[in-house]
Amino acid sequence: MLLDFDKLGGLRTSLVALVVLVCLFLILPIVFIAALSFGSSQWLIFPPPSWTFKWYQDLFADPRWLYSALTSLKIAAIVTVLSVVIGFLAALGLDRGRFAGRDFLRALFLTPMILPVVVLAVALYALFLKLGLAGTTLAFIIAHLLIALPFSIISIGNALEGFDRSIEDAAILCGASPWQARLRVTVPAVSHGIFGAAIFSFLASWDEVVLAIFMASPTLQTLPVKIWSTLRQDLTPVIAAASTLLIAFTILLMIVAALFRKGRKA
Amino acid sequence: MAVSLATGAVKTKREGALGYLLPALLLIAFFFIVPVLMLLMRSVLEPESGLQNYAALLGSTTYLRVFLNTFLVAGVVTVVSIVIGYPVAWLLAIMPERWSRIVLAIIILSMWTNLLARTYAWMVLLQRTGVVNKTLMGLGLIDQPLPLVNNLVGVTIGMTYIMLPFVILPLMGVIRSIDPAILRAAALCGAGRMQCFLRVLLPLSLPGIAAGALMVFVMSLGYFVTPALLGGTSNMMLAELVAQFVQSLVNWGMGGAAALVLLVVTLALYAVQIRYFNPARGK
Repeated sequence: MLLDFDKLGGLRTSLVALVVLVCLFLILPIVFIAALSFGSSQWLIFPPPSWTFKWYQDLFADPRWLYSALTSLKIAAIVTVLSVVIGFLAALGLDRGRFAGRDFLRALFLTPMILPVVVLAVALYALFLKLGLAGTTLAFIIAHLLIALPFSIISIGNALEGFDRSIEDAAILCGASPWQARLRVTVPAVSHGIFGAAIFSFLASWDEVVLAIFMASPTLQTLPVKIWSTLRQDLTPVIAAASTLLIAFTILLMIVAALFRKGRKA
Repeated sequence: MAVSLATGAVKTKREGALGYLLPALLLIAFFFIVPVLMLLMRSVLEPESGLQNYAALLGSTTYLRVFLNTFLVAGVVTVVSIVIGYPVAWLLAIMPERWSRIVLAIIILSMWTNLLARTYAWMVLLQRTGVVNKTLMGLGLIDQPLPLVNNLVGVTIGMTYIMLPFVILPLMGVIRSIDPAILRAAALCGAGRMQCFLRVLLPLSLPGIAAGALMVFVMSLGYFVTPALLGGTSNMMLAELVAQFVQSLVNWGMGGAAALVLLVVTLALYAVQIRYFNPARGK
């Protein structure tokens, strides 16, 4: 009947048509940007009069783009490591600890993810101005760590929930120290959660723009801030080129994640 | 002996639990709770102590217009996302896996694509000489290009694009968890298609719809990037107002007050979500 794909009857055609339309709606803007990045029109006319690599040359000719990409990469890498380590410890504490207020603490750790990020951005900006940290790499790292950490706690927490801790106790009984047992038994067992935590933490920092706008200084910008400030001036096709590279990077990450999942199943 | 050793190990772990939580706790305390509280303090202390910032915020038509824009856009985005997202989630939940995998890959690709890249795409698509206007004119549906950017129409289209995956994915899970036997039973008892949908499928997916709608509404209320780029300066939303007070006007008192309003509305809606739609509590 309504939940059996083969027995939907006439309804099936209209539902399939809608799904195809929504898929086009979701994918066409992305394809469109990739196409325009190779188009010769400065005014982004579609279909482009002819094809060119000019916008990519412009992108790589301006060292500020490369520099901001490297800044993003550096910040995202540091945030990923810190988020996974602190997130692993916090998830372990939440999983193992039996104390009052555990649910409250878990909710508190996840709050930075659900609050409007602009509130956090403005509040941190005020604090960093007072501390003299505004416009520093450290400010970026702290801000991005706050929104990356919830992803780590969720991802590793879920993995820990599915891990039978008596295996860890067995290692301890066999003579391992608690930390040896954790590093050589528990960590490998929850590696898929750690991998998920790393990917989401990286993306949370790499793609983040609102906090970054407030943390940035004229000399220290991440890639999203560079795109943002360029976008506020005009719609140059150079942004289409930068966006296309970002989309390619996203697809690469998706493939890595899919391969990893497949490898785990096999 | 073994047993006592085991409980010993367990005991050490239990005592260590708080230590594990310490780094995360310090981070949250110093760089989340303290700065947010400091900002809220400034809203009642600057330029002088009192509630004058809130009076100014709630008493002026300019700012009321911002609140109206914010709720209007969030409301429309929510309704449109649910109306489009529900049938998609429904079919996705029951279609053969080899097809649903492709659809899911498209949804996830769009979700993972950089937010600025997606917003840029819509800025280009919706501009006066953009593809959307050209196609509509080519089809003879309009004579003049429609103003689709620098207004709330542009913001609504761009935000619906972003929110749609957030509706489809959880709703798909909810519909998958409905037992098809219930619908078969309804049909056997003589219910028509419409009745099956309205009186069985829809009510059973209602908790998922409500939770998804609330999530999209709350996320939309606090959105900054897409409204700022697609909306133009004359159609501000609340998050933009907060940023403007701080960045251009350097008015921390008003910025803090606007931030508090956004914060309170968000937390209130989350409280509703936890109270009424929390799956852990409901079942």
